[in-house]
Amino acid sequence: MKVGTLTWEFPPRVVGGIARHCEGLAKALVQQKHDVHLFTLDFPGSPDYEEMDGIKVYRASTELGHPNFLTWVLLFNHFLSKRMADVTRKVDFDVMHVHDWLAAFSGISFKHYIKKPMVLTVHSTEVGRAQGLHSPDSFSINGIEWWSTYEANRVIVCSQSMKEEICNHFNIPEKKVDVIPNAIDATKYQTSADRGAVRQHYGVGWGEKLILCVGRLVPQKGIEYFIRAIPKIAKRYPEAKYIIVGEGWSRDILEAEAHASGHANKIKFTGFAPDKEVIELMTSADVLVVPSIYEPFGIVALEGMATGVPVVASNVGGLAEVIDHDKTGIFVYPRSPDSIAWGIDKVLSDPDHAKWLADNAKEKLHKAYSWEAVAMKTVEVYRKVVE
Amino acid sequence: MGDNHSFRSQPDEQPNQLRLLIMLHNIGATEAAKALTIVQISEWTRMDASELQGHLQKLIELGYAKHFRSEETDKYHLTTDGIRKVLSLYS
Repeated sequence: MKVGTLTWEFPPRVVGGIARHCEGLAKALVQQKHDVHLFTLDFPGSPDYEEMDGIKVYRASTELGHPNFLTWVLLFNHFLSKRMADVTRKVDFDVMHVHDWLAAFSGISFKHYIKKPMVLTVHSTEVGRAQGLHSPDSFSINGIEWWSTYEANRVIVCSQSMKEEICNHFNIPEKKVDVIPNAIDATKYQTSADRGAVRQHYGVGWGEKLILCVGRLVPQKGIEYFIRAIPKIAKRYPEAKYIIVGEGWSRDILEAEAHASGHANKIKFTGFAPDKEVIELMTSADVLVVPSIYEPFGIVALEGMATGVPVVASNVGGLAEVIDHDKTGIFVYPRSPDSIAWGIDKVLSDPDHAKWLADNAKEKLHKAYSWEAVAMKTVEVYRKVVE
Repeated sequence: MGDNHSFRSQPDEQPNQLRLLIMLHNIGATEAAKALTIVQISEWTRMDASELQGHLQKLIELGYAKHFRSEETDKYHLTTDGIRKVLSLYS
């Protein structure tokens, strides 16, 4: 099939999970002999066209700007559409696949223009990300999300909890929505990194515990509750070090929270880290904490499972479908520093049990979450709309 | 921090540094070739030039912006970390 994919995020323009999802899916579709043309936004240092593992990647440059984000979104959608128009003169697409509301205007326009079906993947919702609709911009984004689900011939989400969320919130018929979980390329997470050297590089001494948290520094990731758990963890593990990987708009607030915890000297914010570094850190950590308060899927939990680090995660959204409590990870209550501290202690206090959890998680991961399976299920959805 | 979940509610409610970072992104100052002068940024953002100077200096210290001198004028643009920080608001 000839697939036109639209996404505002694609490597190296990596913000959250959407870029990784689009990369994994597109690669797997190409491996299954589909012709994938991916339209995305430019990023400093990236070419406006390249072939990445067989994926034809077109990057649109937004030539006009506006201080208001929503206006900027409309402008970049115009330039994305222009880029697509050039390509659709040469390529007869079977289906357009849009990821999230940000690229929806281009996708909807092209659905009507080329008279081909549109599939929409909803990775998260505004009401979930912002924990409510608190502003005109939020209401507008919420409206665009609803409009996109209405215009789409079929909607894909990554977890049952997301399906319930969008069906309830946007009044979408359940039969219009397919659940296809995320996946990871497990081979990417087999590293020969020197664990001791990585720990030393991050200032973690012999016998000290490395407690890792990876995610965008935004409220929905619940990192503030992890930081508030640190004084409780430090009582039992005074030598532990805490590494927080990621970038985001609430970094200043979280750094202030770390300072207020009285343990700032043990907490390191690395900022954005490339995949290789994240994998090395996960492989070298004693526990990975995923304290999200809203998580449609939680691909970081899968990444942790693939590296063999025991995972302590909030029992929310997609995470609740990825992890089996006390079998493949430990669940804690969201927004609860006490519970997070309990979960971390449960892993650190019993290394044999922690290893058993990690081994189980790895086994489950290989069986259930491969990009090959995700691509096959996605093609089934494409076939439904094409027919 | 609970109140900050509604952080991006209104541009006027955002701390000025972050507001400036977002605006620099949205008006396109995302690489050296698209860098802007203080005067240009001031026109776009309606921020006072002296106030801008302070905020830009802080953004540079934090690694979110860069500046260089061209034809005897200072020009400013975001770094990739700065771009990612802005995009995290909406992803």
